[in-house]
Amino acid sequence: MSRPGFVLEVDERTPPLIVHEGEGFHLCEFPLGTRVVYPPDSLPGLRDLDAQIRDALAHPLDAEPLPELLRAGMKLTIVFDDVSIPLPPMRAPDIRQRVIEAVLELAAAKGVDDVELIAANSLHRRMTPGELKHALGERIFRSFFPDHLRNHDAEDPDNLVHLGQTAHGEDVEINKRAVDSDLVVYVNINLVAMSGGNKSVPVGLASYRSLRPHHNVHVVSHSRSMNDPPNSAMHHSYDRMGALVDEHVKVFKIETTLNNDTFPRELGFLNKREWEWTVKDQATYLAVKHANDLTPPKLRRRIWHGTKAPYQVTGIHAGETNAVHKRTLEAIYRQQLTEIDGQADVLVFGLPYVCPYNVNSIMNPILVMCLGLGYFFNMYRGRPMVREGGALILFHPTPWEFHQVHHPSYVDFFDEVLAESTDPATIETKFEGQYATDPWYIHLYRNSYAYHGVHPFYMWYWGAHALEHVGDVIVVGGDRAACTRMGFRSASTFADALEMASDTVGRAPRITYLKNPPLAMAEVR
Amino acid sequence: MIVEALAGRRVLITGVTGFLGQAVLERLLADVPDTALTVLVRPKGSQSSRDRLHRLLEKPVFWHWRERVGDERAQAIVDERVETIDGDVGAGGFDLPGDLDVVLHCAATVSFDPPIDEGFATNLQGTINLYDAVARSGSAAHLVHVSTAYVAGVRKGVVPEGPLAHAVDWRTELDAALAARNEVERLSRRPEVLERCLEAARAEHRKAGPQTVSADAERRRREWVDKRLVDHGRLRAHSLGWPDVYTLTKALGERAAEEIAAGWNGSAPLPLSVVRPSIVESALAHPYPGWIDGFKMAEPIILAYGRGTLPDFPGIPDGVIDIIPADLVVNALIVAAAHRPDPGAPAYYHVSSGDRNPLSFRRLYENVKEYFEAHPLPERDRGEVKVPTWEFPGRQKVESMLRTGERLVEVADKTVERLPRSSRMRELMTKVHRQRRQVEFMRRYADLYGPYAEAEVRYTDERAAELCDRLTPEDRERFGFDPRTIDWREYLQDIHCPSVTAGLRHVPARSTARAQRPQPGTGVVAVFDLEGTLLSSNVVESYVWLRLAELPRSVWPAELAAVARALPRLLATDRGDRGEFLRMFYRRYEGASVEGVRRLVEDHVAELILQRAAPAAIRRVREHRRHGHVTILITGALDVFIEPLAPLFDDVRASRLAVVDGCYTGQLDEPPLVGEARAAWLRREAGANALDLARSWAYGDSHSDLPLLEAVGHPVAVNPDAGLYRVARRRRWPVEEWEHSGGTPRFALPTPADARPVRTVVTP
Repeated sequence: MSRPGFVLEVDERTPPLIVHEGEGFHLCEFPLGTRVVYPPDSLPGLRDLDAQIRDALAHPLDAEPLPELLRAGMKLTIVFDDVSIPLPPMRAPDIRQRVIEAVLELAAAKGVDDVELIAANSLHRRMTPGELKHALGERIFRSFFPDHLRNHDAEDPDNLVHLGQTAHGEDVEINKRAVDSDLVVYVNINLVAMSGGNKSVPVGLASYRSLRPHHNVHVVSHSRSMNDPPNSAMHHSYDRMGALVDEHVKVFKIETTLNNDTFPRELGFLNKREWEWTVKDQATYLAVKHANDLTPPKLRRRIWHGTKAPYQVTGIHAGETNAVHKRTLEAIYRQQLTEIDGQADVLVFGLPYVCPYNVNSIMNPILVMCLGLGYFFNMYRGRPMVREGGALILFHPTPWEFHQVHHPSYVDFFDEVLAESTDPATIETKFEGQYATDPWYIHLYRNSYAYHGVHPFYMWYWGAHALEHVGDVIVVGGDRAACTRMGFRSASTFADALEMASDTVGRAPRITYLKNPPLAMAEVR
Repeated sequence: MIVEALAGRRVLITGVTGFLGQAVLERLLADVPDTALTVLVRPKGSQSSRDRLHRLLEKPVFWHWRERVGDERAQAIVDERVETIDGDVGAGGFDLPGDLDVVLHCAATVSFDPPIDEGFATNLQGTINLYDAVARSGSAAHLVHVSTAYVAGVRKGVVPEGPLAHAVDWRTELDAALAARNEVERLSRRPEVLERCLEAARAEHRKAGPQTVSADAERRRREWVDKRLVDHGRLRAHSLGWPDVYTLTKALGERAAEEIAAGWNGSAPLPLSVVRPSIVESALAHPYPGWIDGFKMAEPIILAYGRGTLPDFPGIPDGVIDIIPADLVVNALIVAAAHRPDPGAPAYYHVSSGDRNPLSFRRLYENVKEYFEAHPLPERDRGEVKVPTWEFPGRQKVESMLRTGERLVEVADKTVERLPRSSRMRELMTKVHRQRRQVEFMRRYADLYGPYAEAEVRYTDERAAELCDRLTPEDRERFGFDPRTIDWREYLQDIHCPSVTAGLRHVPARSTARAQRPQPGTGVVAVFDLEGTLLSSNVVESYVWLRLAELPRSVWPAELAAVARALPRLLATDRGDRGEFLRMFYRRYEGASVEGVRRLVEDHVAELILQRAAPAAIRRVREHRRHGHVTILITGALDVFIEPLAPLFDDVRASRLAVVDGCYTGQLDEPPLVGEARAAWLRREAGANALDLARSWAYGDSHSDLPLLEAVGHPVAVNPDAGLYRVARRRRWPVEEWEHSGGTPRFALPTPADARPVRTVVTP
């Protein structure tokens, strides 16, 4: 059994603590009394994974065993999570590969010929052949690519089916092949509590029309938090849509959870609590830190994006979506949740080099906002980690840089939309429609490797709850112009940031630092 | 009494649209009520002389008078008292009425260095035409001839008021001057001259194409003609002892006037008064202190000094600068007009200050300096201008300073032009350009006006003083022109300098939106060039990408080396002829499979192309589309490489290679659209599809895009090269900097064939 999560209160004996800041990190001294949230120690992985997979498929929750669902002549579609999960990408073999290979073996044994594999990329960019190959392995890639292994295309009207509306009037429109199939097997990796469950099919295979009911400012700001499904308006919507999908499509869900082995062995010190570093860890820190600082930025980015996580699988559950997801959430909370008493005046995050939308890409300023105010801020259950009107301090260089192929609409969003307003609701009313239906963005989404035109809007909405809640956002080391464009302030040092925040929170604020990654989530009492 | 002396008389004024003429007209209208006026005005375009007279009344010189009598009354007075005659003194061919009593001849070309024929036509031929018409009309009008004190020519010492002492035959000079143009025109068509013009035009515009080159060569020839005629004038003036063609022609004009007045073709002698003002500047009191029309001689120098751009000036600090306020000259003219000399005994008057109230160059400089120190000119975003301190180092020192400056600017210009294209290069070009303008300004003014600032000459004005003294106290009050009444400090610091700098006191904020934005409309086309404009890439790079994407990494060095070896020859060809370069380069595609290339571009090169596209460029294309404009891409690049961007455009004109058996032959299907061919193509398209080019847009980055940009009403230079940048600045075209986003690598490489899950084969 691993150690549970831990809240450290910084005292005189506390060494400086690791803070991530984009493609780099440093040791930072925190003021006395700062509370630092550490996740539980990395859980041990399942032994004999293949046997566990076979077992899960043979003994599913609230569903018939998979072999019994397979028969010759049927239409089988295997859908899997796209490149946005896990972060960083998992060292090969990816768990999706292992699960899908097991499913395919069963299908082959039953003589199923009509098999299609679809990446549930929704409005994300298409996965490249290289990325598909990494996620699914050489064998599957060679057998199915390109004709039977493809990306979901949310802008192909011929391959979408409108299934109807939920009782709340929410349009459900998803991939036609999935709807036409006798069985959809969905293979996921559940990295955070927000994902999985009814987010998989109704969102991963949806069109823009079908995303609008929950990907909007109103729903997002009423999802408190996104990682606490019972209290998330967004998940309520997913569930309603999931119920509708289930009326039309037979879905066999396979969900997997990972432990917290985020960084490879060479960077093992990043997985550890600082006061437990050995001499070797300290030496490695110094060596890696200096080498990293000296590496040219472009090469540094390549190296960071080349790292693969030695994740181990902590859970594999198959069967009916809701039954499976219940187990999955338990496993996630077991790995990530730490209890903490009361809210802070200042909440601190060190933002790493990668978020779900810049795998093999550039973390542009909008993604910095989304990672800090969207993902990290929502890593709570109960109450936000910071009090209403408190300050948020982020560490990230926030360079004014964009990947033009992956994020073309982000460039224009940053130059045109944010120049006019940073208020999510205003932006939604005034600009969303235009970007979402822009033929050029749609063309790039379908034919190049671009995120959909509307995607930067979702990124901005993701931060709506935090923007509403906190009084001040300060980015330590952030590019001044880029931060100003987003309505944030940038500080040269952590001390300066605290000085700047003192206007909002006074001279002796209560500070909480969520040490993340490895992924940590707070249960705030 | 002046008013009485002129009452019931008819006065003809020429040059009323000019500086002195309008002031004389105003004065006579305002203060000499019982005199009938006739003005000789050249009709201009559709405006008759009457129209021009009415337009003239809107000028500031009439403001006070119109305010005093009321607008309607002013119109009525003009209609009642002023008669107009259509006529151009220079061209002649007009008749004058026989009842004229006074002819006030104010018309003249004020340029110091006009082409010789123009100078003689206005100042000498014009004078002859006018006075000949007077003589022909049979009237015994008193000729009041406006000349200049400087007709005395380049000399030192005292110049009295009397006929000029020279033996130059004005008829010979006039004939030679008028014939000069034909001769110079003929000379300009000699092969040597044409060759020089063509060579210079080619050096600058070769890339833009032959039509642009020949148009520029012709412009250069015309410029050569003008410059040559200016040289003719200046050198003839120098060789006869005058500083410039202006003073030479005015001097000869006086001689012609004297001859006509003495009796012309058998007509009776006429009374003649020659009035010679010195340097006429803004008014002392009338119509209001500081009134001036346009900039005369000293103003550009004063303003340049006030802007801090004139570090020094040739001139003798103790030399006298003979300045006279305009209203004193007007008074002198009116008083002279009222005092009719005997026919055959011309009167001469110097209206000048140098004799009785001399202003030294140093005192002038000190007053101007003091003025600007007390009231510095504002400088945009930089507070106020600090004016330089002049050392008066003498002509030689200034001359050598100027020559050094000119040489430096020349070298800087050449150097900057050869820098690689960047916003820094353009910034430097702007700086050098500004420097060049400053040096050129100094050169021009030092050459032109230097002699006036170095003159050690004194124009006595005893006769003018005597004339002034004869006035009644009342007239002296109203029409006096005694230069001793000028307090130089007050005149320069409180009247003249504030008046000439008024327009520069308000500095408009730098406009942020430099370029006009496209407006919705139909029949509008937006044409874009590709390389350098939309894309920071070129055909060589696309080829390299394609090759590298096709090959395993181990073969990359050899391939890159092969391209590098060919590069110098390719670049040399590109500098000469873009079409030739493309033809030569595209041979490399010989034998490549069309389908293979297409697949490679789609799977691997498209990404690199999109990475190199400037987001601002793509936004602009889409903005045009939103406004309903037809968007067209014109490029020499291969059509297959344009595919990733093609959906942005309604029409794409790219190079196409011939295909045999599914493989490229390496030969172009049709000539590539480069340089002037683009403009020609666009004009044809516009004709065929009812497109309005005047409302259309074109975007280009290089000098070779010039013909295309010239074809539309809204040309935009994007990241321009030195050649295009120069043109864009000259023509005030908007210049935009379109860069790809931060984070885009400078050198992008595709994934090697061996590191990819799927391999595409291009070459068999």
